[in-house]
Amino acid sequence: MKKFILILILVFIFSHNFIFAQNVKKTETGFPSKPIKIIVYTSPGGLIDVTTRKFTEIASRYSDATFVVENKPGAGGIVALKKVLSQPADGYTLFACTKSNISKFVSTGGKHYIDALDWLAMLMADPECVITNKQMEVNDWQELVEDARRKNGKQIWVGPAAGGLDHITSIKIWEEFDFSAKWIPYKSGGKARAALLGQQGQAYVGNPREVLGNSDLKIAAISSEKRLEQFPEAPTFRELGSENLDNEYMWRGFAIKKGVTPEILNWYDDLFEQVNNDPEWRKFWARGGIDVVYYGPEKFSKIVNSNSDTFQYYLQKIGIIKSAQSNIITDLGSGKELAYIIAFLFFLNLVLGIIIYNSAIKNLLSRILIISFFISISIIFFLISFVFPESDIVGPSVVPRLWIFFLIPLNIILLIKTYVNRKNIKQSSGNTNKVLKFVIFLVVYLVGIYFLGYYISTFAFILIGMYYLGYRKLSTMIIISLSWVIFSYLIFYKTLYVPLPLGRLFEILF
Amino acid sequence: MEILSHLIDGFGIIGGVVPILVITLGVMMGIIAGAMPGLSPSMGVALLVPFTYTMSPTLALVLLVSIYIAANYGGSITAVTINAPGTPASVVTSFDGYPLTKKGEPGISLGVSLVSSTVGGIIGTLILIFFSAPLAKLALKFHPAEYFALAIFGLTTVASLGGKNWIKAFIAAIFGLLLNTIGIDPISGVSRFTFGISFLYDGFALIPALIGLFALSEIFKQLEEGGHNTKTDVDLSFNWPTVKDYFKLKYTILRSSVLGTLIGIFPGAGATIASFISYDVTKRLSKNPEEFGKGKVEGVAAAEGANSSSVGGALVPLLTLGIPGSATTAVLIGALMIHDLTPGPRLFVSNPELVYGLFASLLVANVALLVLGLFGSKIWVKVTSIPKKILFPLIFAVSIIGSFAVRNSFFDIISCLGFGVFGWILRRNNYPVAPIILGIVLGNIAETNFRRAVMMGGYNIFFIRPASLILLSLGLLSLIFAFIKSNNKPVNKQTKGEI
Repeated sequence: MKKFILILILVFIFSHNFIFAQNVKKTETGFPSKPIKIIVYTSPGGLIDVTTRKFTEIASRYSDATFVVENKPGAGGIVALKKVLSQPADGYTLFACTKSNISKFVSTGGKHYIDALDWLAMLMADPECVITNKQMEVNDWQELVEDARRKNGKQIWVGPAAGGLDHITSIKIWEEFDFSAKWIPYKSGGKARAALLGQQGQAYVGNPREVLGNSDLKIAAISSEKRLEQFPEAPTFRELGSENLDNEYMWRGFAIKKGVTPEILNWYDDLFEQVNNDPEWRKFWARGGIDVVYYGPEKFSKIVNSNSDTFQYYLQKIGIIKSAQSNIITDLGSGKELAYIIAFLFFLNLVLGIIIYNSAIKNLLSRILIISFFISISIIFFLISFVFPESDIVGPSVVPRLWIFFLIPLNIILLIKTYVNRKNIKQSSGNTNKVLKFVIFLVVYLVGIYFLGYYISTFAFILIGMYYLGYRKLSTMIIISLSWVIFSYLIFYKTLYVPLPLGRLFEILF
Repeated sequence: MEILSHLIDGFGIIGGVVPILVITLGVMMGIIAGAMPGLSPSMGVALLVPFTYTMSPTLALVLLVSIYIAANYGGSITAVTINAPGTPASVVTSFDGYPLTKKGEPGISLGVSLVSSTVGGIIGTLILIFFSAPLAKLALKFHPAEYFALAIFGLTTVASLGGKNWIKAFIAAIFGLLLNTIGIDPISGVSRFTFGISFLYDGFALIPALIGLFALSEIFKQLEEGGHNTKTDVDLSFNWPTVKDYFKLKYTILRSSVLGTLIGIFPGAGATIASFISYDVTKRLSKNPEEFGKGKVEGVAAAEGANSSSVGGALVPLLTLGIPGSATTAVLIGALMIHDLTPGPRLFVSNPELVYGLFASLLVANVALLVLGLFGSKIWVKVTSIPKKILFPLIFAVSIIGSFAVRNSFFDIISCLGFGVFGWILRRNNYPVAPIILGIVLGNIAETNFRRAVMMGGYNIFFIRPASLILLSLGLLSLIFAFIKSNNKPVNKQTKGEI
């Protein structure tokens, strides 16, 4: 019986590789011989996700390849990038990216991230534009500039994240027209647009498409050489007197890990060319006012590198990339000194923990340990907060410190209260060892997932877990464990595209 | 009434066999997505968006909102049966729902949560249909200072949640707020407290924290107490609430639904804060506030009424302004975009069939939810009679896969386990864990709006704007109230030992 089930599981685990392998028809070059994965750095529904899915739809008309879109949202594209870089450079993993990623790459990994990729194809470019609210008195470009000069830096511009493309574009616009304003960032472009509609800001920077559907919004200026067909009333920056803002656009495209053979690069080049010329592809995007272009690796790389230099310059200017500064407290909050402090606090809490383990007044001390843990965390965070770059009014350190200033006194009050009431603390009679053993068992399970993959480890975990808790009917145990594994395969892996790990061992072997 | 005639047209559009099937399918999938810890409504919707790309826009939208509504309810099933809230908003449902189950009344808590959910959902939809235009205007007037004040007001509900442990409740909430500052600062873009770990650039994901703090810590606690060895009632004759029982809750449900819709309107605030505030208000108005948290049906009704009605609220800014009011509606915008539709006021003119079809399907989906939920409850209630020896390993398995599914990352599984152990340690020392979740949920709203408001108008802006002043004063009052109450309570034998 057991053997049978083991075989069943093995068959089941390998079968999906087999199913995949059957779907693919080979081209003359031998590439692709398995599905091509495209990693998208946002959740489904974002514009880059829509772009990618539309792309796969059109691309599958020109090639036999199967495309699988995988969403890896997080950290402005860093999570997706790490995923792409963790795959072999065999041409089967594409990275769907936008100009915003470049800003994030520059601010977190510098040139190093940009050089790790081959920039395959830039497929579209939307000009950036300044959007205003018609309900407000100031909504025309000239009025906006005059108002800004009058307010002397206090005019409010809203948009998405600081240091992103829209923010940097705004700074360029301000420099070009010789005024300054305040950038108030919102969680998303949509929320910032709401702030403009609510008249909390004077201008919003984004994509021309965003005025569609709302008659109160108006494009005050647009950064394209000529007026757009869809928005004939929107003046260009060139008409308004600036010649350096023609090329402020948001691009979307695809990149691939460096090291792919030229043969594969050529295959992609042909494919992108074909998709770019597809009438449906062009029609779909034209309706939204999005410029469809196709720039191959050479030109695209140049654009990316120049973008990266620009971001480097401006991010440093606005303080997102730190310039070296040093004093005693920033030293304490960074590098070696911080490591010593963390080690010391950790040691202190550990000693307290050991004392508790052997103590008769366990419950009192364990309460003190929790208080000491909260205070330790507060101290560490407080010190680190001195390393953050300071900006004019409310910088990144203000709010964490505010919470810490509440957290520490509350813990001290609690410490006093605990000490005063120490006689009243109940002794708990539970079996903590049982919990600790189970936690260790869980850790083993996690290690198992990493090496042996999700399916085998989970089957074993549920089986052993039930046995450990005292359940003894073997047939029921096997049925339940197996059903869960099959359920998770069908629902999570097959239907919801959650890439459950197959385990290092299998990745190495197969 | 122009709206009514449009609405009748809307019912006509979704009256066919296919739309009804789609709604039923959506509701079933939504319930599963909501009930599965780790699949939040927004993920349930996001995961299905790719499938809707080939459907007609109306059908696509109908499917997605059916999932959205049902997922909001689904979260409460696991919250009341195994203390594992499937969604952040159903954390509050577990406060009284799970104690009711422990008392041997899972039928009552499941029944009340279902009915309050559907009634709340329908009230929310009606408010959406008839008052969306004026409400949208109100939402736009909400200044960052008011968002901050609303978040602070939401946080002060912790005071009454904590009861005599109010200091611990506050420590937990502020710890949640502090955890929320980990990651890339949303205002300035610099990374904070990430220690170079790229998974922390977005901070700790909420779902693994939620699963760890609730589901895992509950199992650890029961393992410690030997709960896995206790014989479960194999008696399957559970009590179900009668119509009279539901009728008694009418004011609670109505009040929570109106409150939920209103709070749902403000982009970003959403279902979680709505359910916390509604629970708090209901508790304060109750004659027996001390019974809350020990299995009071009003508590379940308040939480579920509020979080389900917030769906209607969240759709107000989406449909009228093209601005997402929640994570889920942000995904809906993407789904509309692929069909070449731009949400916003013009949608009512250019595609009325879509808008009113959507309204009609919201109402139908709530009814479908009620019907399917009634059948389903009979099955879900049996979860409580599964022997714990079998149930516990399965809950772990669900928790692990749920944490992984959030971002497909191993890091989230590890953090889920970490939060589980941490939550267990806190709970055995009488710290409530729900405030941590509230802190994590509200941290971002509080911080970003605080800083936006100060950037716009200096520190005194919170006291100049009347709405923010009122909200902040209310918060302060509720703090003072909690403080006085906790100190005046006569110390009886039962409460004496616990600090």
